Amino acid sequence: MKRWTVFKAVFVKNLIELRRYLFNLVTGLVTMYILFLLLFFGARAIGGAAVKVGDTLEGLVVGYLVWLFAIIAYQELAWSISTEAEIGTLEQLYLTPAGFGWVNGSFLVARFVTNLAVITLMLLAVLLTTGYRLNLDLASLLPLTVITILAPCGFGFLMGGLALVFKRIQNSFQILQFVFVVFLMVPVSEYVWARYLPLSLGNHLLRKVMVEGYRLWELPAGDLATAVGVGLAYLLLGVAAFGYCVNVARDRGLMGHY
Amino acid sequence: MALHPSPPVLEIRGLTKTFPRRGKRPPVTAVDRVDLTLEAGEIVGLLGPNGAGKTTTIKCVLGLIRPTAGDIRVCGWDVRTHHHKAIEHASAVLEGARNVYWRMTPRENARFFAGLHGLDHRAHRSHIEELLERFGLTDRGDEPVINLSTGMKQKVAVVCALVKQTDLVFLDEPTLGLDIETSLELRGLLRELARKTRRTIVVSSHDMDVIQDVCERVVILKEGRVVADDRVDSLLALFRTRAYRMVLSDGLVGEVVERLARAVSGLSVTARGERTELEFELPAAERLYEVIDIIREGGAVIETITQKEPDLEEAFLRVINDTGSEGGAGA
Repeated sequence: MKRWTVFKAVFVKNLIELRRYLFNLVTGLVTMYILFLLLFFGARAIGGAAVKVGDTLEGLVVGYLVWLFAIIAYQELAWSISTEAEIGTLEQLYLTPAGFGWVNGSFLVARFVTNLAVITLMLLAVLLTTGYRLNLDLASLLPLTVITILAPCGFGFLMGGLALVFKRIQNSFQILQFVFVVFLMVPVSEYVWARYLPLSLGNHLLRKVMVEGYRLWELPAGDLATAVGVGLAYLLLGVAAFGYCVNVARDRGLMGHY
Repeated sequence: MALHPSPPVLEIRGLTKTFPRRGKRPPVTAVDRVDLTLEAGEIVGLLGPNGAGKTTTIKCVLGLIRPTAGDIRVCGWDVRTHHHKAIEHASAVLEGARNVYWRMTPRENARFFAGLHGLDHRAHRSHIEELLERFGLTDRGDEPVINLSTGMKQKVAVVCALVKQTDLVFLDEPTLGLDIETSLELRGLLRELARKTRRTIVVSSHDMDVIQDVCERVVILKEGRVVADDRVDSLLALFRTRAYRMVLSDGLVGEVVERLARAVSGLSVTARGERTELEFELPAAERLYEVIDIIREGGAVIETITQKEPDLEEAFLRVINDTGSEGGAGA
């Protein structure tokens, strides 16, 4: 119950900050709208006569969302920790009976939910203005997306922990972006070991749903179990690394530094 | 697990914290074998020069810094092994940090920090509103903190620590940067709070007036060690019995001044027209007779003898200077 109260507090704070930084929110919404428009028109240009516009468009939208959520997952926590340290509130976040990890996990979930709401809103706006229709199997896609981004969340905790110790780690985000592209592109069906990479198997299963029309329950159970297991393993490793970094920061007295 | 029904609010045994340094330089000992016990309802001042270990001690208690050695228990809960339970009983306003979100309003901050402590703000609405009222923030409770004065910002930080309703509250430099009027107001609020709520409040400050005004007990740290731990009035009384001011109707010859300097400590001689003013401290009250004899033999007449009323600042400086660089119990 206490943890739920802490989660609610973090969630509401996230909403308040979104509202308080209104310019940032509005420019984010406009950017998202333009991005979706570009995606839609780009899909039509690529689709031509040979490819069905719908498939390309839906594939692009889902691909973009997975990519975006992966970035949110591994970047936002580190950004948040750096910012909280700079404005002098990070140490206060540690002083909670729910635990520092819980507060940061709540922050990540809050960011996902608010981003999902914003993205859905803008997607609907673009659909309304362009007259396109998307044929998405949300019942299959949503759980698969969650499974796929478990691993980036693990990286998020790792990066958050590194931000606690090293303070400014944003340059490493760019390297990680390229690494993630590689993970997304590795052909899982050709290389067995690729199933154990972050993102790879989840992305492969998402493509099966999008391109080959599979439903979630029609996917091989072994593949699904592996995707969940791999995602959870990376998440737990990330959380463990975060815990280690917290202790290093506490040993060195770095919690309040920036 | 809590060990007995009513353990001390804070119990520190042998707390030591060393920070390693780069290269082959020896580690820095910030806190050195500190023992401290605080009971419910105490309001304690934590004093010490810069680098004495005050903030490190506070942060060790809060779990923000991991001690090298020693045990810390908050309401019986071991901070090392049961941090989540220990922190249920402790809150803090930390020095040099904003502590609160300036883009949020005082009310939003208070609700957030209550929630962060696991207290649903709806169930504790009356407490939050009461605190805002008591700290004079009700009227500006819905304005972003960034628009408030420095004093009000500091009050918001204190409210956010108090909203958690913990047994132990640390206020690290709570009046830093405040004007005298606001500082006095905040002191009054802290005194009232301690009296009414029976919370244990630890005030760390460089401002001796704040400590003298607010606290009943003072703990002085020097080079990471406790060099004094006493009631504020006892500490002042200790120096009151030793410090004297004497006005003589004549001047003193050099030989008499030399004899006096050997008999007392901290002698200062000031010529004021025909009169001479002496200020000195005695290791024991009975040594006053010896001083009087020296002056009489020197041919001067004593007009007045008064005991100097020392303030905490003088007591503090005396303790710090008396304890030398190795620390040790002073008062």
